[in-house]
Amino acid sequence: MTTVMLVDDSATMLMSLKSILTKAGYSVETAEHGKEALDKLGKGVKPNLIISDVNMPQMDGITFVREARKAPGMRFTPMLMLTTESEQTKRTEAKTAGATGWLVKPVAPDQLLGVIKQVLPGA
Amino acid sequence: MPGLLRRSGSFAAEADEPPVRGAVVADALRPVPEFCDVIDAHINDVIEQTGEAAEAIVRKMLTIDSMAEVMSGDVSQLAGTLGHVETELTRVAGANDQLVDRLVRYFMYRDEQIHRLVDEMRGLKQHVKEIEEVSRATNILALNAMIEAVRAGDKGEGFAVVADEVRKLADRSRQAANGIGSSIADLTSRLDHVLSDDSDFDRDNAVAETAADTAMTRRLAAIAGAQREMSEMVSTILHNALQAASQVEASSSALTSETTGAVGHVQFQDISRQMLEHVLAALADVRRQSDDLVAYSEGALPAEILRERMIQVDELRARHVMGRQRSTHAASTGEQADSDSAPMIELF
Repeated sequence: MTTVMLVDDSATMLMSLKSILTKAGYSVETAEHGKEALDKLGKGVKPNLIISDVNMPQMDGITFVREARKAPGMRFTPMLMLTTESEQTKRTEAKTAGATGWLVKPVAPDQLLGVIKQVLPGA
Repeated sequence: MPGLLRRSGSFAAEADEPPVRGAVVADALRPVPEFCDVIDAHINDVIEQTGEAAEAIVRKMLTIDSMAEVMSGDVSQLAGTLGHVETELTRVAGANDQLVDRLVRYFMYRDEQIHRLVDEMRGLKQHVKEIEEVSRATNILALNAMIEAVRAGDKGEGFAVVADEVRKLADRSRQAANGIGSSIADLTSRLDHVLSDDSDFDRDNAVAETAADTAMTRRLAAIAGAQREMSEMVSTILHNALQAASQVEASSSALTSETTGAVGHVQFQDISRQMLEHVLAALADVRRQSDDLVAYSEGALPAEILRERMIQVDELRARHVMGRQRSTHAASTGEQADSDSAPMIELF
């Protein structure tokens, strides 16, 4: 089963996105900030896709993506930023860090699933 | 109040009533931090409450969603069962139609066979008539034989002729009897055959096709018609039930889709939370500046530091992360809003 890792400090976001993805047939791993997500990757969790918020405590999403790219087996894993942030400079920063795409909240469930299909064509 | 006097003294050269004005400003600013703290607490309370409400909404939506899925599954199963029943009913009704049709044709066929036998039995009357004729002739001959016998006396020639005729009549009588006997045997056998064996019916359907209606076949046809009518009625009910099940299934599916959409809209809470957190940050700036002013008025903070740390609306604009925040800011300050042309979804 395709596993998606959700990283967001909002419990509401985690809950709603998890339900949408689970219903669409994905297995979901969650983390409340970049550091927790990085710890999970270090413990062997191997998601097929990561969807991360940008502004989070302890470790922000862009730093997390930069660090996650260094984790074993994560070099080509799609990593999407899902954030309220719409500044172009932040997008560029995320792209440089290794993000695959940028989605501005709120994103409709069917749009989110469509993007996932685009970045995970075989899933 | 020695502090007040000291503060008053520090402003004595700058205003008409500097000691009083400075003290009043400081007094007015002193409750601002606490005031901000209360507002801060209220805003945090709103964030917490909307968070709890949003989570509760998501949970309820998930419950509705799972119920809709269960309902959809049940209805799907029911539709499958109804569809199977409809197929079976159609099959059984078809088989019944064939059976009744075969029965009708069989009875028509048998009736026709019996009619033929009845016709043939009517033919036996001919044999009976012949025997009656023979009987009459025999009687006459017998009478003649008696007369001839009387007349003959010793001469018996005439009697011999009569006797010969009597013999012939007896022969005809025997033949007629044989004919009746064999006809009856034949008819009995065929009647038995018609009643016990319908294999001829299978080979001779064409006869049944042309056979006439009888009371029995009409009754059977009426039963078949009633049975067909009942089947059609049940079939209509099943068809309507199937349509209803299909509609419920479609509604469940739409409901599931709507609940998923509603769950997606709960992202508003995260967005609102972040907007309120920006308001809190701005409020913290106001609180800090208030503290600075009090400190300045008390002579505890130099003027250059106060000016350096003074809140700026431009700084507030720079901290906005959402296009909507920037628009609201621009609308409030009367500036031209920056166009947010970046796409909402962008794959690098």
